[in-house]
Amino acid sequence: MTFNEYPPPEHILGDLGMEAELTTETTARVRTRVTPFVTSADGGVRSGVLATLVDIVGGAIAARVLRPDWMATADLALQLIGPVQGPWVEARGSVARRGRTTLVLEALVVCVEEDGTDTVVDGRTADPVAWASMTFSVLPAQNPASSIQMATELPARWAFDGGNLDRPILEALPVHVLDAAAGRLSVEVRPYLYNSFRAVQGGVIALLAEASGAEALAAAHGLDATGFVVTDLQIAYLALGRVGPVVTSARVLGSGPDGRAGAVVELRDQGADDRLMTVANVSGVPAALLAGASA
Amino acid sequence: MTGDGSPTGTEAGSPVDRRRYVSDYFRLERWEVPPDDAERPSSFGGRSPLDDHTRGAGGGLRTGGLLTNLDTLGGFTSGLAVLPQWIVTTSLMATVSELDHVGPLRYRADVLRRGRTSVVTALDVVDEGAGDRHVAAATMTCAVLDPGAMDLEFTRPVALPMPPPPTTARRPEEFFCIQPGHGPVTRLVLDDRLRNPWGILHGGAVAMLADEAACRAALAHSTGVAGPNGVAAADAVLHYLRPVKVGPVEARCRVLGSRAGRTNVRVEIHDVGSDDRIVTVGSVTVLAV
Repeated sequence: MTFNEYPPPEHILGDLGMEAELTTETTARVRTRVTPFVTSADGGVRSGVLATLVDIVGGAIAARVLRPDWMATADLALQLIGPVQGPWVEARGSVARRGRTTLVLEALVVCVEEDGTDTVVDGRTADPVAWASMTFSVLPAQNPASSIQMATELPARWAFDGGNLDRPILEALPVHVLDAAAGRLSVEVRPYLYNSFRAVQGGVIALLAEASGAEALAAAHGLDATGFVVTDLQIAYLALGRVGPVVTSARVLGSGPDGRAGAVVELRDQGADDRLMTVANVSGVPAALLAGASA
Repeated sequence: MTGDGSPTGTEAGSPVDRRRYVSDYFRLERWEVPPDDAERPSSFGGRSPLDDHTRGAGGGLRTGGLLTNLDTLGGFTSGLAVLPQWIVTTSLMATVSELDHVGPLRYRADVLRRGRTSVVTALDVVDEGAGDRHVAAATMTCAVLDPGAMDLEFTRPVALPMPPPPTTARRPEEFFCIQPGHGPVTRLVLDDRLRNPWGILHGGAVAMLADEAACRAALAHSTGVAGPNGVAAADAVLHYLRPVKVGPVEARCRVLGSRAGRTNVRVEIHDVGSDDRIVTVGSVTVLAV
C-alpha cells in the first residue's frame, strides 16, 4: 500500500519495523518486534508505542473501508492490561461501525511468537495485553482517482522498511524535556514524524502524551520518568501539528487509593499560534507497584 | 422526535420530562458560563449532592452515575454550542482518580473543538466536600444532528436548579431497570421513562448498564478480583454506535485480564429487540475496593 511515497525513507514507522496485513475487508493486524528501545520500567512495551501500532492498524482498515475517501484519527483510547514482553507484539483491529461521517474501530493487542503464532502460557493462548478503540473522521475524497493504490487480493501484506531503531524511541524522535514536573516536553516537526498529511503522526502524538504524563506523574511521586508506567491513554485529536515545535504540558490530577495517578496532557503547536492540537487523559502507576503483579 | 412522538414518558401513570428525568435522579444542578469572547461557545458548571442510595462499593457516587452526569452536562454544553442544530453522544472516555467522595461533586464542561459534524468537550469533576480533590477527567465527542421538531428554546444563560431529594430512595440498578443477576451477561428493560428527548435510551442508562455488567462479569470471572468491599467500576471508554430504540438491552462482557487489583472488561451492548444489533462497545476497568 502506498500513498504519495508515504512514509519517507527515514521514518519512525520504518525504524519500528512494522509489518502489516489486511486480513479481510474489515480486519487487519500490525506487529512490531519488542526491543529494549520501546519498553518502559515494567519491561513491557510503552503504551505510546502500542498506540502507534493501533493507529496504524486502524488506518490500514480505514483506508480500505472508506476508499476513495480518506480519514483523520479523531480519538484513540488504549488500556494496558498486562506487561507486553514479546517477542513480538501485534495489534488486531476490526470495524465496530462505519457511519456517514465517522468510522469506529476496536483492537486487541496480543503477544506473538517469531512465527506469528499466539504466545501460549500454561498451555493456553495468553490473554490480550491491551484493548484499544479509535474513531476516524471521514474526509471526502478530493480526487478519488488519485487517492491510493489498494491491493485487490486479500490477505495483503506489507512492511515498513527499517527496523533500525538503535536508541530509546524518545531519543529517536527526539524529545527534549523542558520541565519534567510540568510535563513540558518539546519536539520539532520533521519528516521522520509525519503522517500522510505531513503533520505529526497520531502514534507519535500518543507517545508524546505518554511521555509528558509519565514525567509529570513521576515527578509528583518523587520519581524519575523511568519509574512510572503509563497504562491508560484517552486521546482526543483536535488539530494537526504541522509547524512545530510541538510542546506538551501536564496537569496532575491526583492519586487514587491503589497508587494510580492521572494527568491531563495538552499538546500545542507552538509555531502555529500555540494552537491546541490534542488533549489526552493519561493515567498510570509507579513501576514498583506493578512488580510481581501478574497479568 | 421521540419514539412515541411525545416529549414525555410516564412513571406510575404520571408524565415525566425526558429532558430532565435521568439527570434529576442524580440531582444535577447546571449553569451556563458565558464566554468572554462571543465567538466562543459557553462553558457549563454543574453540581450534584451525594445521596446515600447512589453510592457504590467504592464509597462515592457510582461511576455509572458519574458518567450519566458527564453525559448530561457534556451533551448540554455541546448542544448549545451548535444551536440551532443539536447533538447526540458518540463517545465518552473517562479517567476516574477517586472512587470515595464526600460530596457534593462539582463539574465543569468546556468545548475543545466545534466542527461541522462533531463537537469535542472536556469535562472535569472535583469533590467540593474534600477540598476540591480531583475525581475524574473525561472527553466526550458528539455528532451534530438536525433536531427536527425538538423544542430548543432556552432562557440564556441557562440555569437549572438542583432538584429536591427523592421521596423514595431507589438504587441505580432499580431506577435504570437493570435486572438482578450475575455472570458475564446483564440485561436492562427499556422502560419508556428512560428514553431521552430523541426517544432513544439515555446514554447515562447505557453507562450505568456498562458499570453494573462489568462489575458482575469481573466477580463471576474470579473472586480474586474483589477487595473487602467488593469491586467498583472506574475508568471507562464507551462508543455509542447506534441508538437503543426497542430493548431489552443486553450487556455481554469479556474479562480481558487482571493486574495489580484492576480488571479490564470489554463490554458489548446489544438492542435485543432491534435484531440484536450492537449499540455500544467499550471497556471498563473494575477495581478491587
